[in-house]
Parts: sequence; C-alpha cells; structure tokens
Amino acid sequence: MTATTLTHDEAHHHDTPKGWRRWLFSTNHKDIGTLYLLFALTMLFLGGASAMLIRLELFQPGIQLLAPDLYNNLVTNHALIMIFGAVMPAAAGLANWMIPMMIGAPDMALPRMNNLSFWILPAAATMLILSFVVPFFPGGGTQINTGWTLYPPLSVQVGMSMDFLIFAIHLLGISSVLASINIIVTLLNMRAPGMTLMKMPMFCWTWLVTAFLLILVVPVLAGGVTMLLFDRHFGTSFFDAAGGGDPVLFQHLFWFFGHPEVYILLLPSIGVLSHVIPAFSRKPLFGYNSMVGAMLAVATIGMVVWAHHQYTIGMSLGAVTYFMIGTILISIPVGLMIFNFIATMWRGSMTFETPMLFAVAIVLMFTFGGLSGVMLAVVPADMQYHDTMFVVAHFHYVLMPGAVFGLFAGVFYWLPKWTGHMYDERLGKLFFWINVIGFNLTFFPQHFLGLAGMPRRIVDYNVMFTEFNVVSSIGAMIFGLSHLLFLYIIIKTIRGGKKAESRAWEGAKGLEWELDSPPAFHTWTVAPQIK
Amino acid sequence: MSHTPTAAQPTGSVLPPKSGKTAAPALRNLALPLAACALLTASSKVNAEYGINFPQPAAGVAQEIYDIHMLTMQITTFLLVIVFGFVFYSLYYHRKSRGYEADQNFHKSWFGHWSWVIVPVLVLGIDLTIAGKADAVLKEVWEVPKEENIMDVKVTGHQWWWEFDYLDHDIKVESRYVPHEESGDLYLREVDNRLVLPTGVKIRFLHTSADVLHAFWVPELAVKKDAIPGYVTETWAELNREGVFRGQCAELCGTWHSRMPIVVESVSPQQFAAWVDDQQAIKVAAAAEASADKTWSLDELMAKGKPLYETKCAACHQATGMGLPPAFPALNGSAIATGPLEGHLNIVLNGKQGTAMQPWNSLNDLEIAAIVTYERNAWDNKTGQAVQPADVKQAR
Amino acid sequence: MHVPEHQTPELRRKNIRLAWMLGGLALFFLVTSFPFWSGLFRIVGNQAVQ
Repeated sequence: MTATTLTHDEAHHHDTPKGWRRWLFSTNHKDIGTLYLLFALTMLFLGGASAMLIRLELFQPGIQLLAPDLYNNLVTNHALIMIFGAVMPAAAGLANWMIPMMIGAPDMALPRMNNLSFWILPAAATMLILSFVVPFFPGGGTQINTGWTLYPPLSVQVGMSMDFLIFAIHLLGISSVLASINIIVTLLNMRAPGMTLMKMPMFCWTWLVTAFLLILVVPVLAGGVTMLLFDRHFGTSFFDAAGGGDPVLFQHLFWFFGHPEVYILLLPSIGVLSHVIPAFSRKPLFGYNSMVGAMLAVATIGMVVWAHHQYTIGMSLGAVTYFMIGTILISIPVGLMIFNFIATMWRGSMTFETPMLFAVAIVLMFTFGGLSGVMLAVVPADMQYHDTMFVVAHFHYVLMPGAVFGLFAGVFYWLPKWTGHMYDERLGKLFFWINVIGFNLTFFPQHFLGLAGMPRRIVDYNVMFTEFNVVSSIGAMIFGLSHLLFLYIIIKTIRGGKKAESRAWEGAKGLEWELDSPPAFHTWTVAPQIK
Repeated sequence: MSHTPTAAQPTGSVLPPKSGKTAAPALRNLALPLAACALLTASSKVNAEYGINFPQPAAGVAQEIYDIHMLTMQITTFLLVIVFGFVFYSLYYHRKSRGYEADQNFHKSWFGHWSWVIVPVLVLGIDLTIAGKADAVLKEVWEVPKEENIMDVKVTGHQWWWEFDYLDHDIKVESRYVPHEESGDLYLREVDNRLVLPTGVKIRFLHTSADVLHAFWVPELAVKKDAIPGYVTETWAELNREGVFRGQCAELCGTWHSRMPIVVESVSPQQFAAWVDDQQAIKVAAAAEASADKTWSLDELMAKGKPLYETKCAACHQATGMGLPPAFPALNGSAIATGPLEGHLNIVLNGKQGTAMQPWNSLNDLEIAAIVTYERNAWDNKTGQAVQPADVKQAR
Repeated sequence: MHVPEHQTPELRRKNIRLAWMLGGLALFFLVTSFPFWSGLFRIVGNQAVQ
C-alpha cells in the first residue's frame, strides 16, 4: 500500500491501460460507470424480451406460446433481471460517472472495490440466467414458478434452479452493498473543500440515501434467502409449519427488503429529475431543503411499512391499521417532491429537449401511479385489489416513470458530457413519444382488468378479459421494440455527431459542466474551491 | 370416511347456470380504455356492464369496500386533475418559445419559504380523510362477528383445486375447473362442484392450505385471504342476493394457478337446506357402497377409477398418463405404477414430501382402490391387478 | 491493477475506516435478521435433545 503512495503529479502522468486490460482492471470511475451502463443496457433487453414473451402469451385467451411453468419462470426472471440487472446497475453507473465529477473529487474513494463491485455483476447475471436455463437440460429439475417474491412453500418445491437463483441474489446483494459503501464514503469524505452537505447536488443526496437504504435492507434479503436455502437442503423448517416454522416469516423478511427496494429504484431517478427540470426550466430547483427532508422522510417511513404488500395474510386489526396509516402518510413527502418539481417548472422558461420530455412525463405519470398507490394502501379496498392486474398496472406506473424514465432522462441529459457529441434530438423525441405511448397503452388497460377480476401471474384467462389484454399486448410490442431506437441513438451518438460544448445545455448548472465534453480520463485532480 | 361428490356424480346446481359475459371480438373497441377512464368516476351502474370496475357487490362488507374504493378513486382522480391542470398550464404559458422569462426569485417568495409546510398540511388533510373512512370500514370487514349461529365453511386450497368443508353440516365439496370443451365461454370461470351458500346468514370462511399458498377471492364477496399451510385465517360475509358469483385463486400457487376458479352459488335458505339434504343422502349411499363386503372385478374398478383419475390426478399426471416431466412424472410405464402394490398405495395415501404430490388419504378405500387399479391397468400398464378396498384398508 | 493515487495517507485511512464501519453495519443487519439465528439455535437445540 505505502509503495503506491505517489504524489498527485506522478499519478497524472500515468498511461491509460489499453485493450481489455483497461476494462477488466479498471479503477477509473468513468470506465466503471460505462461498464455499469452497458451491463444495464444488455439486461434491459433481456428483461424486455421476457416481458414481450409474457405479453405475447397473454395476447389471446388460451395457452399458445408458453407452457405454464415457462410462463411463470419468465415472470420471475423479468422482475429479477429488470430490478437487479437493469435499473440498479444503471443507477450505479450514473453514480459512478457523475458523483466524483459533481462533488469535485478525482475518483471514487475506494477504486479497487469499485472494480470488484462491478465485476461481481456479470458472474451474478450468469447465475441468474443459469437458473432460467438449467431446467431445459436433462436432470435440471423444475422451473422457477414462484415469481420474484419466491414465497415458500412453493419455492421449496422447485428444483435446483432455485439454488442458482439464491446464489445469484447473494452475489447481486454483495455487489450492491459494496457499491453503496463506496458511494457513501465518497460522498462523505471526498467532497471538494467548501461543499457542505447542504450544498451537495441533489443527485448526490438521493444516492447517499439510496446507498444507506441498500446497506440496511439487502442483508435482510440475503438472510431470508439463506434461510430458504437451509429449508430446501439442510432440513430446517424456518418456513414450514410442520416443523414449527411459518411461511409468512419469509414474506416479512422479503418485503422488509422489497419495499425499501422500491425507493432504492426510485430515488436516483428523483435525483436526475432534480437536475433535468431546473436545467430546462432555466431556474433553480424549488425547495432544495424540503427536497432533502422529504427524501429522508420517504426513506425512514419506507423502512417501516413493508407489510402493506401482505395485507391478506391475516394480520391483527391493530397491525393492518398501523401499516395502512403509515403507507398513506408516505404520500406527504412524495407529494412534496412532486410539488417541488411542478414549482420548479412554474414561471420557468421551459424548452422541451428529450430529457425534459421524459421529466414532464415522469411528473404526470408517477403522480398517477402514486395516487393508485394511495388506493392500494387502503386495507379494505386492497382486499379486492391485492394480487390482481390492478397491482401490476400500479407498480409499473410507479417504476417505469419513477425509475426507468428517470434513467432515460439522465442518459439523454449526460450523454453529450460522456461522449462529447450531441445525440440526434429528432430521434430522441421520436423515441420519447413511441415509448410513452407504448407504455400507457400497455399498462393503463391493466387497471380495468384487475378491477374486473383478473388475477395477476396467470398464464391463461377467461374470454371476458380478452379486449383489454389485446390492447395491452399491442402496447407492449410497441413499447418493447421502441428500445431498439434507444440503442440506435446511443450507438450513433458514441460514433459521432455535433460537437458538445462543456456546458451542453443552456440552463445546466453544476461542477460536471465545468469540465470538457468528453471529460479527461482523470478529472478534478486539483479540487475546485466551492464558495 | 366422508364421501366426496365428483364430476361423475354431479352435485347438481340449484340454479340454472347463468351464461357469462360472452366473448366480444378482440379489438372491437379500441376506444374503450380511453372512455373507461371517464366512465369509472361516473356511475357505478354503467361500470359493471363494461367490466371495467368491480362487479356489483353481493354482500354487506363487499358493498362497504366498494364504496370506499369509489371514494378513494374519486379523491385521487380529483387530485390528479389538479396536478395535471397546473402542469399543463405551466407547460403552455411558461415556455421559452413564448418568450417567457424565468422568474429567478420564485423560490425566494413567501410561497417558496412556506410551501414546505403548506403542502404537507394539505396532503395530510386528504390522507386523514381517506384513512378515517378506511379505518371505520376496516373494523367491520376485518373482525368476524362473534355470533352463536354463524355458519362455518372451511376453505382449503390444494394444487390445483378447492375443498369446501361445511363444518356445521358435515359436507365436503371438491371443486375443480372444467375443461374448455365443456365450459366454453366460462372456461377458467366454471367449476364442476360449486360452493353453494345461503343468503341472509352470516358465514365465516376459515382459510387454510394443504400444500402451498393460495388465496380465496370472489369479487362480489370481496373477501380475499391467503390460504397458508399449517395456519388458519378467517373472513366473513353475509350474502344479500341470489346469483352465481365467479372468482379465481389470487396467489401464485405453481403450474396451474390459472386453473383454480371459485364459483359461489348464492341461494335462498330453503334451497340451501334442500341441497344439504341431497348431499347427505349421496354421502350415506357412497359410504354404504364402500363398506359393502364385496370383491370388485377389474372392470368395475376400472369403470369407477377412470373418472376419479381424470378429476383428481389428470391435472398433473395428464389423462394420457404421460405427466409433464420433470415437475410431474409419467405414470405410464413408471416403476411405481407397475411395481409392487405397497409402494404405489403408499405414495397415493401419503403423498411425496417436497413435491406437489399430496396425501390422498381423505378418499375412501373404494375410491383409492379404483384409482390405483386404474393407474395399474390403463395405457400400457397392463398388470391385470384388481386392487380391493381391503388392500387399501390394510395399507393405511 | 494500478490505482492512480489521488488520496493523501490520512484521507485513505479515513476512507477505509468508514468503509469498514459501513460494512459492519451491513453485517449487523444480516445478523439481526434475527429469526434466522433464533431459528438456527432452536434447530440446533432440538437436534441436541434428540
């Protein structure tokens, strides 16, 4: 360790490694950020393909395309790939790229660990894909037909592919805890002189909270799936009533992770919005302090309301009342966030480039998803909504705008900074419109399906549900295929395009825009002074 | 030994089957989703016809739940309109292309200083309105009334059928989905034996499961509760109108989760009493038949075994006996179905731990004998063995 | 794997110390997903009795 203690100047003259060694051994936050983003993009297409297969099967009543277990397997994998493979790594990629540049740090605090936390991911993804593929081989056991919630006793029935999945979850968990530790240390120890916590860019704040959430809840999921593994192979009965256990215990452990996970997916995108909306409204973020407070409140309340995912397990009246009121109260800080975004746009001087289009769509559609969340929080009404397509519609309205559109906005916003080229604005807007229309066409009808009585996670349905399923499936095809355009735009921008200025957007503020586009391999080797 | 009515001995419906909503040609109405949004908040009567909202409730608690659902939906729709209004106003007027200059001091106005208090207080007011209403309904829905003469129905979820035990009448009903050829447009919404319930009586449902999690859900009754193996959860309802109400299992329970419909047939107390008498007569006759000291011929057992196999076993092992490997092994040519009888009886009676194969020991000796005989002689399994009820009795 | 050096020894120590503390927090939460351990002890206890 002491041998590598060089001075700043010496480090600066070091050559950049070339070829594959540059990526495999990378300790540079920009390269690792790129790796994370490319990994997430790959997973987005895998998860998207599984979603399109699901919707193709549901296009018409009857079982046409997928055997029931394969359908359930795809449902499971779609969720896990999208959450752990696409959204979380994409958010981590943005964090890696932007946090050091935003706070005036030369790199992440723990560069070697940064390398480790990325390179665990491909191994984890391989395990995840194996869990899908293994049952197709002779002796591979049954497919995972439990959904991503992995509820026992069903998950105890599944063959060896469940073990692959459990280990994949362990690896993914280790990766995200390491990344979170790195981000927290960077944000707390590496800020440029003069940048107090309350002067930190909003994206950094959201990631600080997200990283703490990850450290607190991911180990609990790891504990839960480990107990599942023990139940499956070592004769324990944590979740088996016959041995004195309780299947519901797993649900508590799972959702103690699962509910904060929603905010883990959401908050980084809220951070992106807090940069995009002020930039294209040409005025500062409305209510910085209340935004920070709201975020801390969301994270705190979000940790203690997990059981609203399990209203139907037969809790006591006192318990459900508590979880109901706690859940409804989340609307206060979330409402404040939405209000701040609208107030930022209010009396602004707005232009509508692609990132801003996505931002406006998020404000509108995330509000919609949040309001159906209030409906779901009401326990008596949830006795009807629970486990129907209404829930599917609700959480896609929260997570697609709340998380994924936020990431799209971030990618379009910072793409000029990363590549040094402006993306094709015309294509960007085209992508936005196809994407948003496809999304609404897919998920809006699912509200009605749920209310009319269609449960979720069924491979086949009665003819009475046909019409809305047809609309939903057509929407899903449009929505899914539109991402090919996204891929094309990114490739086109990397390969060339109009030269981007340092400050690529007229209204953009922040340290990252003081640097060249694309920035040098090592930036802020001399820390800027913040007034 | 209680007898179970099966498809071969139909329980008989008290009411003529009501035809379900007929299939509309797909794509007939693409404008529906758009119109639906407006309709939802309008009149509840219109909603029911288009199948975009909950069906008309058939129980008191369901009505309360329906009302709170409509209330929260109206409040949230109102809020949505306000948010959309402000956003679209701003999108239109506060644009650079209209020459609007950004107000750089907006966040420094009194509004900017105090909005962090004003907004949460407003939202809190709305929250408390919703929570207050919900809390009142919740108390009524959640707690089963403590009454002497409440009727108990134990609902047991199985992979993939429902078992209804009328604890006060000592009747058991097995309820399974009906294949497409027989149910037509009601496919996945129709069962062989319905859950027949009387109106005007408080009914307590006791939910449990024999294997994995299931959830009992009939929208008209609005009681959804998980069936958890080893535990009992409870809900209650009092039906206030006659009719046939259809629901489905609502908790992912494995391969054929989609094939667990629930059909409640709500009848008058008189009709219910008549139905109970019928069921008990069938039960007595079957018990007499099973206990008769008689040696059954292979043909008799095969004739009895085929329908039993097709209702109870074919969902997994398939009518062809080929199963769906690897989850559900084939019986045709299998070591167990063609090997020693003891092994075969053991797995049928006691199930296989850690798989979907459950113990079938609730069937009577004759039924087990018939099923096992059928499995050992159907398809290519020509053992020629006629298993007698006495053999089963011994194996228990 | 070469790490371009940009941290003074004090900063490096501070970073690594904080990282260990956060890692400890994560481990604490793993350990206190307590049903795991209580259940494990119960099972170990049961097996000892038999």
